[in-house]
Amino acid sequence: MRPVARSAIATGLVLLFSQSGAAAGPDQGAQLAATCASCHRLDGGGTGIPSIIGLGEERLTNALLAYRASESPNHIMHVIALSLSDEEIASVARYVAAQGSNPR
Amino acid sequence: MKSWTRREFGRLTGAALLTALNQPKARGQAKARVVVIGGGIGGATVARYLAASATAIEVTLVEPRQTYATCFFSNLYLTGLRSFESLSHGYEALAKQYGIIVIHESAVAIHPAAKTVALNNGSKLSYDRLVVAPGIAFRDRAIKGYDEAAMEIMPHAWNAGQQTRLLRQQLESMEDGGLFVLVAPPNPFRCPPAPYERASLVASYFQRRKPKAKILILDAKDSFNAQDLFQDAWNRHYPGMIEWLPAQFTGGVTAIDAKTRSVITAGATFKAAVANVIPAQMAGRLAQLAGLANRSGWCPVDPVTFESALQPGVHLVGDAIIGGDMPKSAFCANSQAKACAFAIAADLTGSARFPAHLFNTCYTYLAPDDAFSNAISFKPVDGKLKSVISFVSKVEESSEVRRQAARAAEGWYDAFTHDVFG
Ligand SMILES: Cc1cc2nc3c(=O)[nH]c(=O)nc-3n(C[C@H](O)[C@H](O)[C@H](O)COP(=O)(O)OP(=O)(O)OC[C@H]3O[C@@H](n4cnc5c(N)ncnc54)[C@H](O)[C@@H]3O)c2cc1C
Repeated sequence: MRPVARSAIATGLVLLFSQSGAAAGPDQGAQLAATCASCHRLDGGGTGIPSIIGLGEERLTNALLAYRASESPNHIMHVIALSLSDEEIASVARYVAAQGSNPR
Repeated sequence: MKSWTRREFGRLTGAALLTALNQPKARGQAKARVVVIGGGIGGATVARYLAASATAIEVTLVEPRQTYATCFFSNLYLTGLRSFESLSHGYEALAKQYGIIVIHESAVAIHPAAKTVALNNGSKLSYDRLVVAPGIAFRDRAIKGYDEAAMEIMPHAWNAGQQTRLLRQQLESMEDGGLFVLVAPPNPFRCPPAPYERASLVASYFQRRKPKAKILILDAKDSFNAQDLFQDAWNRHYPGMIEWLPAQFTGGVTAIDAKTRSVITAGATFKAAVANVIPAQMAGRLAQLAGLANRSGWCPVDPVTFESALQPGVHLVGDAIIGGDMPKSAFCANSQAKACAFAIAADLTGSARFPAHLFNTCYTYLAPDDAFSNAISFKPVDGKLKSVISFVSKVEESSEVRRQAARAAEGWYDAFTHDVFG
């Protein structure tokens, strides 16, 4: 484990708890992010599939909303996003953004 | 047993991926014990997500092999496009980073009333919950003459390992002009597109190395997964090289003769230079022995918790289950495993439950730089796993789109195996 990553997570956690209240808490975000992890490395590594780390909550939310709206440019992300409610998109975006070394 | 508050659980899952081990252990109380049998894709994923999401659970993983070789991407290895090492994954990260107790033994019996598992070395493990993910076994006598000795001559290569190496050696030493016969199994079986992906990649290898060789697919079915995409690609990339004979033309494969490397159907005998015989399948042996499979040979489960419909306290994921619309794929095994791990964590620690999300995503190679993908989402409906939304690549896609999919597939392999094995 790289120390950089660990401290980034710690920072992410602070953000997580200061921003999120009870409803749709971070545990839901973590469970949803488990789906992301089947294709996207959550340590920010990897090639071939675009990284979702370091994008920030707003960009992630907007990307998921755009994928949900259209089959193009990516039918895989279209299927994933179509299965998510607005609330789920918000909680997974918040969780994944908090994993980043550079949220937003 | 301590029941975790949302906030505590949230902190654990939030930090889980990297810092589970740094969390102080709950002291002075017995931990709940989960035993996972089978360290393949389904079992390793359950173990990892349970260990990462709840430090109040002690997770033991039972798997005889020291390293796991993935079936997915083994067709690339078969045809010289990947090394065997690149398919191999050990259990060190699961043990060291996630604190999972990994025992390299086979489970030989399950005693649900006593809640114990007997191992090959004579020892016993007690559990509060058991997860069984043994993958597949081959049905006995599905093809006459296809026994263990015949497998060494006409490999199935449907579990990755020595069988896959054997088939590669045979393909490499085959003379140009030889006939490669692939016997494709009846439904349901592990990875519906994989026999046809194998035929495609072997064709691309032959084109490079043995251009006069031919491929004959003798199918137990009359149609197959993504048939339009495969047949379009075979015409484009390998015209005249691959012949596919459905069961309605041949009556299906009834027997083999290992001595002459022949495959026998109702009306004809095909003598092969190399034969890849993929027999009919069922849930892994342990599931049969332990009464977890019904008469279909597969294991019925609750589609939300993946608890066995036949043995309470025992959960199953992966190829061994009756997955409804979910195909027997690594992606599905991984997706089911996460839902199962979260359900067990909720039962044992009182953590919050959320609706599960189940998916299949699959990249399939038609040629080294031509891959297609599909994606399906699933939901439990009336006790069954039903597909909800499904998209697949189209025949008329540009070669650039297909090249991109082949590149994405490489990235998927890296991220996915990282997700399963840490
Ligand atoms: C050629 C090919 C290509 C494929 N390509 C893809 C693909 O591109 N994408 C995809 O998603 N899927 C693909 N698959 C399918 C994928 O490999 C399987 O669906 C997946 O491995 C199923 O996972 P599992 O956990 O159910 O079984 P496995 O991964 O087979 O794991 C079962 C494990 O249980 C262990 N075990 C068995 N019995 C016992 C016992 N008694 N005690 C202890 N341990 C035991 C075994 O040693 C094994 O490690 C492919 C399959 C093949 C054959």
